[in-house]
Amino acid sequence: MKIPYSLFSRRAFLNSLIGGWLAALVAAFVGPFMKFVIPPEREPDQVSVPLADVQGLTPHVVKTFAWGNKPGLLRKTEDGGYLAFVGVCTHLDCNVTYRTEQRRFYCACHEGWYDENGLNIAGPPPSPLRRLAVSVEGDALVVRKQG
Amino acid sequence: MNAIRAWMKERLGIGAVTGFLAKKEIPRHKHTFLYYTGSLILLFLVIQIVTGVLLAVYYRPTLAEANASIARIMTEIPLGWFVRSVHSWSSTFMIAFVLVHLLGIAFTKAYRKPREASWLTGVLLLGVSLAFGFTGYLLPWDELSLSATKVGTNLPKAIPIVGPWLSHLLRAGEDVTGDTLSRFFVFHVTVLPLAILAFLCVHLFLVQRHGMSIPLKEERKQRKIPSLPFWPNFVFREAGIWLVLVGLLLTVAVIFAPGLGPQADLMAPAPEGVQPEWYFLFMFQTLKLFPARILGLNGELVAVLFMAAGLIMVFLLPFIDNRPFLKKGKVITALAWAAFAYTVVMSIWSLL
Repeated sequence: MKIPYSLFSRRAFLNSLIGGWLAALVAAFVGPFMKFVIPPEREPDQVSVPLADVQGLTPHVVKTFAWGNKPGLLRKTEDGGYLAFVGVCTHLDCNVTYRTEQRRFYCACHEGWYDENGLNIAGPPPSPLRRLAVSVEGDALVVRKQG
Repeated sequence: MNAIRAWMKERLGIGAVTGFLAKKEIPRHKHTFLYYTGSLILLFLVIQIVTGVLLAVYYRPTLAEANASIARIMTEIPLGWFVRSVHSWSSTFMIAFVLVHLLGIAFTKAYRKPREASWLTGVLLLGVSLAFGFTGYLLPWDELSLSATKVGTNLPKAIPIVGPWLSHLLRAGEDVTGDTLSRFFVFHVTVLPLAILAFLCVHLFLVQRHGMSIPLKEERKQRKIPSLPFWPNFVFREAGIWLVLVGLLLTVAVIFAPGLGPQADLMAPAPEGVQPEWYFLFMFQTLKLFPARILGLNGELVAVLFMAAGLIMVFLLPFIDNRPFLKKGKVITALAWAAFAYTVVMSIWSLL
């Protein structure tokens, strides 16, 4: 079919062709750029803590271990089990500390409080401390991501 | 000498610039002091560049060496403590004058047509200046700077969709680590300086293009406003103020040199009394006051959206208040006072 008139001029066609090509070229660089500037994650799959290190642990005492780049917190429960948390406040990521006299976890950045089981009880934290799974394997406690 | 001058004039074509500056006039009225604030920001920017280059000569942006290299600058390098102190204090002076400059323009409605673009680039310059402060705060790599950076880089996470990605981009991953430190250093010494110079060129060009704005009150008097030649009268007056402020800067830098906390430990609990730089205190206090949940929404999200909305409103002010220049702007003046009062009250509250 022959159209009696052109829908767009030759110039408009070439401009959009070159413009589209430039845009596509720029877009093609965005992906690799983003890949480069964000390094791969380093959260460990599991961390083992020698049983010998936790032998003397009594309930209401908390031991710190390295969970990748973050502090992990380990607590022995009354019934002899273990609870482990990522010791990072769920509000704005500050490291929390255990207050033995109050038996609570405390974040100094914005005064957030968690009870012994990691539940957020006061201050701005929106959710409980992140729990990690703990199991006894041989002569070590193995801490894993939960779920 | 004259031959050199003539050669430069001919080859570089600077006659246009010098001719413009020779004819430039500064209006004289009750608010003329506001015209000095811009050049004062430039003064402190130049001091920042000089002291920053000096500090970068000895600073090492790595996990193992950052804190120790600052300690070395403070204790071993001749006058190192002084250079660092001037850099730190000059940043405070610069931000303070940026805020005065901004408020002065908001109150005198100088952002109105045709100066909208000057305002936009000005707010971008404010953003870059704050980014300088934020990235520079981490570089000493002590306990306080680590915690403040953790909080600051966690904030974008509350924004839906792009938030987590933005936080990862700032932190170089999930956590604040040595990679974050290198990244902040690179931003502080390469990306942000290029950005500030680029925006500054546009800003200064626009200021010359549109000329000095005359406050509403004076304009409404409908009389001829007296003026002062830019060169040499205004420049000499400016130079006097520069001298006084440089003296003040050096004095506070000598008397109140900044300290250096113990090296940051990624595993240690956050120290008591975590605080950002003074110009972020009002945001810090706002975050502290918002409860965990508001009307079923995440409190942090509400707080971040609240602050983001405020910033966007400041940025778009010339388009929100787009009335002709000669109209009064009581609402905007009241809002500017309210924002100013909010910032001051929140900042003081956070120090109590």
